[in-house]
Amino acid sequence: MLTWVENLFYAVFLGQIFLLSYYFPQKILSRMRYVLESYPPSIYPKLYPKPVEYYRIGQSVFKVINQFIFLLGFLILLAMLFLVDHGNFADDGFISEAWPAAYGMIQFLPLAALELLEFSQFKLMRKANLATRRKAELRRRGLFGFVSPTIFGLAVVLYLTAVLLDVFAHRSDGLAMWLTGGILFMAAVGAWNLYGRKMNPHQAIDDRAKQIAANLNSLLYISMVMSAFFIMAVADEIFDLDFLDAILMSVYFQVIMILSIGHVLRNLKLEDIDFDVYKNRTATT
Amino acid sequence: MQIVVDIDAPEPLFAQLISRIKKAVLAGQLGPGDPLPSIRQLANDLELNSKTVAKAYRLLERDLVVQTRGYRGTFIHPDAKANSGVDLNAWVATRLSETVAEFRESGVTDSEIRIAFSNVLNDSSK
Repeated sequence: MLTWVENLFYAVFLGQIFLLSYYFPQKILSRMRYVLESYPPSIYPKLYPKPVEYYRIGQSVFKVINQFIFLLGFLILLAMLFLVDHGNFADDGFISEAWPAAYGMIQFLPLAALELLEFSQFKLMRKANLATRRKAELRRRGLFGFVSPTIFGLAVVLYLTAVLLDVFAHRSDGLAMWLTGGILFMAAVGAWNLYGRKMNPHQAIDDRAKQIAANLNSLLYISMVMSAFFIMAVADEIFDLDFLDAILMSVYFQVIMILSIGHVLRNLKLEDIDFDVYKNRTATT
Repeated sequence: MQIVVDIDAPEPLFAQLISRIKKAVLAGQLGPGDPLPSIRQLANDLELNSKTVAKAYRLLERDLVVQTRGYRGTFIHPDAKANSGVDLNAWVATRLSETVAEFRESGVTDSEIRIAFSNVLNDSSK
């Protein structure tokens, strides 16, 4: 007989399977299809530094990998329900958070691969770009031109709370260090977004500003969720709520997905992007 | 407000940056106190070497078109509009033309002029 905790975990884990391996991959595939159909290489050649078949194959590979991971999620769920003795996988006899964590990392792999391919795509675009005129905005970009100071302040407060809680109320086993490392990494990514080199040589200035705003806000929300998760993890130990760890871990992965990919998809609508920059005319980058 | 440079143009890139910024000031698109992008930001956006942008900013500061306020960055000078109309290079060319013409009238040869000019430059830089 399953306890209410296990029932809740399986429901939440089902959500993780659907959200990360079905819903968001479908959204991404739908965007890919829309771009390929609405902005063909015959009219927008600068968007396709490689033959269009390469992108169609990539789309299919992305779809198949996500379908496989989706099925894997159900297999893991069945294994947890019927085959696994939970006592062997968690000290406290409950479901170990390693299950949703390991599966979550697998679910993020296709998205990470897509990000890396995007870098490669932009590199090819820069190589193929023969335009000699270069354009830039004569306006200084600053963090608070893109994110709310209030939200930023809240993120700082959450981080400091997590660190203080770990140091003073916990056995301080390095959680604060991990959190700080993660936050610093995201700060570096944020700085690179703000001041770094323009990856897409053809991107319109307004579109770049929208992308910077979407990325910076996404990073900020993720850092808040990371801090909140650490606070809850410490609180779980202090108040003996370890049985909720697996549920929290699954929720954590889902929230990260909603705030990263989901936030960017919601805020960077394809209809608002200037695709004319990819047409074949003597252009300014 | 956008700035455009042409990497294939005969005019050096730092000179293009200087002239574009001065034109923007004269046209009223940049006003006193307006912040300019940091050297790194502008260099990355235009895919230029940061030394090129730094040189442009340094010469604009010399011409009192911009002013640097340490870590706070670079801003348009309060008197930028009046100073943007001054072209130091054109002034040098005019004065040199007049001086060279005077020397030639006095019978000094071109090679003597070149040697003297070079010596004066070397001596004054020591």
